Amino acid sequence: MIRTPLRPLARILDARQKGQNPDAIERENVRIRHEQMRDAARIRAEGRLLVLAGLFLLGFMAIGARMGALSASEPSEPRAQGAGASIIAQRADIVDRKGRMLATNMDTFSLYAHPQQMIDAPAAIDGLLKIFPDLKRERLEKDFLGKRKFVWVKKKLSPEQKQAVHDLGEPGLLFGPREMRLYPNGALAAHVLGGAQFGKEGVHAAEVLGVAGVEKVFDEALRDPANGGRPLQVSLDLTVQAASEEVLWGGMKLLNAKGASSVLMDVRTGEVISIVSLPDFDPNNRPRPPVEGAPDDSPLFNRAVQGVYELGSVFKIFTVAQALDLGLVNAATPINTSTPIKIGGFTIKEFKNKDYGTISVSDVLVKSSNRGTGRLALQIGAKRQKAFLDALGFFDPTPFEIFEARAGKPLLPKRWGDLSTVTISYGHGLSSSPLHLAAGYAAIANGGYAVRPTILKQPGPVLGPRVMSPAAAEQARAMLRKVVTEGTASFGEVPGYHVGGKTGSADKPKPRGGYYTDRLISTFASIFPAHDPAYVLVVTFDEPVETSGEKPRRTAGWTAVPVAAEMIGRIAPLLGLRPDVTPGQLPGITLTGN
Amino acid sequence: MSYLEYSVKYVPSGLRKVLYLNWPLAFLIVAVACIGFLMLYSVAGGSYSPWADTQIKRFAVGFVLMLVIAMVPIWFWRNMALLAYAGTVLLLVAVEFTGATGGGAQRWIDLGFMRLQPSEAMKIALVLLLAAYYDWLPIQKTSRPFWVLLPIVIILVPTALVLSQPDLGTAVLLLTAGGIMMFLAGVHWAYFATVLAGIGGLVTAVFLSRGTDWQLLKDYQYRRIDTFLDPSSDPLGAGYHITQSKIALGSGGWGGRGFMQGTQSRLNFLPEKHTDFIFTTLAEEFGFLGAISLLVLYGLIIVFCITSALSNRDRFSSLLILGVATTFFLFFAVNMSMVMGLAPVVGVPLPLVSYGGSAMLILLIGFGLVQSAHVHRLR
Repeated sequence: MIRTPLRPLARILDARQKGQNPDAIERENVRIRHEQMRDAARIRAEGRLLVLAGLFLLGFMAIGARMGALSASEPSEPRAQGAGASIIAQRADIVDRKGRMLATNMDTFSLYAHPQQMIDAPAAIDGLLKIFPDLKRERLEKDFLGKRKFVWVKKKLSPEQKQAVHDLGEPGLLFGPREMRLYPNGALAAHVLGGAQFGKEGVHAAEVLGVAGVEKVFDEALRDPANGGRPLQVSLDLTVQAASEEVLWGGMKLLNAKGASSVLMDVRTGEVISIVSLPDFDPNNRPRPPVEGAPDDSPLFNRAVQGVYELGSVFKIFTVAQALDLGLVNAATPINTSTPIKIGGFTIKEFKNKDYGTISVSDVLVKSSNRGTGRLALQIGAKRQKAFLDALGFFDPTPFEIFEARAGKPLLPKRWGDLSTVTISYGHGLSSSPLHLAAGYAAIANGGYAVRPTILKQPGPVLGPRVMSPAAAEQARAMLRKVVTEGTASFGEVPGYHVGGKTGSADKPKPRGGYYTDRLISTFASIFPAHDPAYVLVVTFDEPVETSGEKPRRTAGWTAVPVAAEMIGRIAPLLGLRPDVTPGQLPGITLTGN
Repeated sequence: MSYLEYSVKYVPSGLRKVLYLNWPLAFLIVAVACIGFLMLYSVAGGSYSPWADTQIKRFAVGFVLMLVIAMVPIWFWRNMALLAYAGTVLLLVAVEFTGATGGGAQRWIDLGFMRLQPSEAMKIALVLLLAAYYDWLPIQKTSRPFWVLLPIVIILVPTALVLSQPDLGTAVLLLTAGGIMMFLAGVHWAYFATVLAGIGGLVTAVFLSRGTDWQLLKDYQYRRIDTFLDPSSDPLGAGYHITQSKIALGSGGWGGRGFMQGTQSRLNFLPEKHTDFIFTTLAEEFGFLGAISLLVLYGLIIVFCITSALSNRDRFSSLLILGVATTFFLFFAVNMSMVMGLAPVVGVPLPLVSYGGSAMLILLIGFGLVQSAHVHRLR
C-alpha cells in the first residue's frame, strides 16, 4: 500500500511561504486517510454482507425447492423393508416329477392394530366381529381398550375381508403383506408335503417354516436365497398319485377299513411315484396333532412310512428267495408241510389248520404255507436271515426324505432264536412299514439289487449293492407271478398287465399282548409287469372286511388284492406301460381292395 | 463513533420515536405471529386452549417489551452488552449447577410468568457482545490473531456450556451465528477457510472411525445420522416423525387440505405437532402456497433487517441488526430443513410460530434491539 506522507515537504514549505499553518495540511491529510480507511472497511463489509445475503438466498431457494418437491410428491406410507426386513419370506415351490405344482406361495395380508392410534375402538371391535365371527369380543376389548400398543388380529386375510376391514376406515387397523404357503391340490400328497406355518413374524413379512414332510426336511434348502427360488422336484407323479388316492379311498370305503396305504416305487431308482396314507388331511389347513388316543387315529399319521406292522405272508418271498439264492433248494424241491413244527412249546400252524401235504417250494409260496417257509428258514438259520433282511433295509428306518420316516423304525425281536427265525420267515415277529416292504420287493424285482427309497427325482437308475443272484431273483419273480395266476392273489390279474405278487394277512396285535382274531392288516405286495418288473406296488388295509359272501372275509386275497388290481389297471397306462393284448379275430371285416 | 456524536446529530426523542420505528418490520412480525396463533388454534382441534390463548398473551407481553426496548437509545444497549453476556453466562453456569443438584437436565429458570432458558437468551447476548466488540476494536486490528482468538473464546464459552446441557441444536446455532458475525466484521477469509477445512476433516474422521475401536461418536448418534440420511430405513422408529411430516407435506399438495382439515396432525400421527413440527400442520392445511407464503414473510423480515443495516452508518448498530437477522434466519432455516428432511432433527422451534415462551420472547427482544438501532440511527 502506497501511503502518501501526512506532511509532504513541498506543500509544507509552500504553505510556510504563503504564511499558512502547515498543520492544516496534516489535518487534512489525516482526515482523507481516515475516510479512505473507512471507505475500504465499508466496501469490505458490504462485500461480506453480499456474501451473507447470497447464502441466505441459497437457503431460501433450497427450502422453497424442497417445499415444492414435497408438495408435488405423493403422500405415500413408506413401503416394506422396515421392521421385518431381516426376515426372508421367500420359499421355493415344490413340483412333481413332471414339473407340476405341488406347493407354492400366495401373497396375502395380515391384519394388526395400533390401539393407541384408534379413533373409535368400540366401533372397530363391532366392525371386526361382523367381518370375522370367529373372533372373541372379550379378547378384542381387552386388547383394543387397554394399554397395548400393538396387537395381531388375523394372520391371513382374503381380499374380500381385507376390503371389508379397509372400509371400516379405522386408522388404527393396519395390514402387513404376507406370503403364505399354498397347496393347490388340497389333500393330494398331503403326507409327503406335510405343511408349513409362520415362524418369526414382522409387520412387513413373516417366515414360513416347514412343519412336516418334505417341507420340514428340506426347510433350509427351500428358504435358502442362494438357491434362487429353484423349485424342489420330488419323484411323485401328480396324476398317478391322484389315481392311487382315488382308488384306495374307494377301496377303503367299500371294505370299511380303518385306514389304508399304498406305495408305488420305481424298482430301479427307488423313486416313490405315489405314496398314499388314508385318512388324510389338507395341508393348507393342517389339523393339530392329537393329544390323546393312538397316534394312528390321527389323519396326520402316515401309515405308509410311520406305521410299522407285522405284515404277514408277504415276507415269505424273502425266505424263499434267500433259500434259492443260497442254493439250498430249487423251485421244484419238495417240502413236507404236513409234519407240525414245534419250537420251544409253540406249534407252527397253517392258515385254518389246512394240510397241504408235500409240495414244491414254488407251491409253498403259491399256497402260502407257514410250515413250508418255516422249514426253509430253519435251513437258512437266524444269522443269515438277519444279514439278508438287514441288507434289504428292514433293520433301520427308511432313508426316505420326509420328516415322518425317521419315526418308522422297524420293531425287531429282542432274542432272534429259532422261533423268531421261523415266525419272521412268514412275516410275524418283525414289524415294518409298507415302505420297507416295497423296497424289499424292489430288490427282487430289479434282479437282486438293494434299493433306497427316495422322494427326490433321480436322473437315472440308482442301484444299491447286490443282495441276491439274478437267477434267484428271476425264480422268485416267476413264483410271484404264479401266486396271481394260481394262488391266493387270483383277483390280482389285470388284463394286459402281468402282475406278480404276494398276499399277507396278519392278525393285529392287542395292545396288551396276544392277537385279535377279527382284526387284520391285509397287504398285497405286487410287481408289474411280472416278466420285466418296473414298479412295485404295496397296498395295505387296516381292519378291512369284505361282506358280499356268507361270512365276512378279511384276508388280503379278498381285500387288498382286488383294490391293487384296480389301481394297477388305472395307473399302468399313466406310467406309460403298454398293455400286452393279443389281438382277437375281428369278425365281419374283410380286406377289400381299393 | 463516540457517545458524544449521537447528541450532536439529530435523533428523535420522547414519544416521537414511535413514528420512527421500522413499522413494516413490526407489521411483518405481527403477521407471522398471527399465522402461529392460527396454527395453534387448528392443532388444538379448533380451540384457543391449551396453546393459542397462552401464545397470544405471551406475544402481547413480548411485543410491548420490544417497543420498550426500541425506545431506549441504542448506545445504552451497547454499553450493556458485556453485562448481558456475563450475566447470561453466569445463568448458564447456575443452570448447570441446579440441574446437577436437581438430578436432571434443567435448562430453564423460573421467572414466575414464564420459564426463561439462559441458552435462548445467550443467542441475543452473544450477538450483542460481538457487535460491541467489533465496534470497539480498531478496524485494522480485526484480523490480527489475538483479536481473532478473543471473539472465538467469547463464542466457545457459552457453546460449551450449552452443549453440556446437552442441547446440540442451540450450540450449533450459537457457533454458526457467532462465526457469521466475525465474517461480517471483516475477519480475514483465511481463518474461515481453515475452520471449514477442519470441520470437513472432522466429519470425514467421524464417518471413517465408525465401527472401529476409536469411533468418535456414540452408536445412537451414528444411528441418528443414518436416520437423517435415509429416514425410510426406520420408518417406525427414529425416522418416524420425519416420514410422517413428509407425508403431511405431500398430502397438503399445492393448495392444502383447508384450515382445520389436516389429517396427519389431527390424527396424532405427528409428534411435537404444536412446537417444533408445527410447520407440517401449516404445510398440510395451506399447502405449498401457505408454506411458501410463510417463507416469503420470513424473507421480508430478513430483507428489512438488511436494508436497515445498510442504511445505518454505525458499525455496532449494523452488526447488531445483521446478527439478529442471522439468528432469526438460522432459526427458521434449521427448523424447516429439519421438518422437510434436509437437516437432522435438532430441537429448534419455528420462530414466532411454534408454541413456547422463551424463544419468542428472546426473538422479540432481539427485534426490539433492531428497532432501537433503527430509531436511533444517524441521519
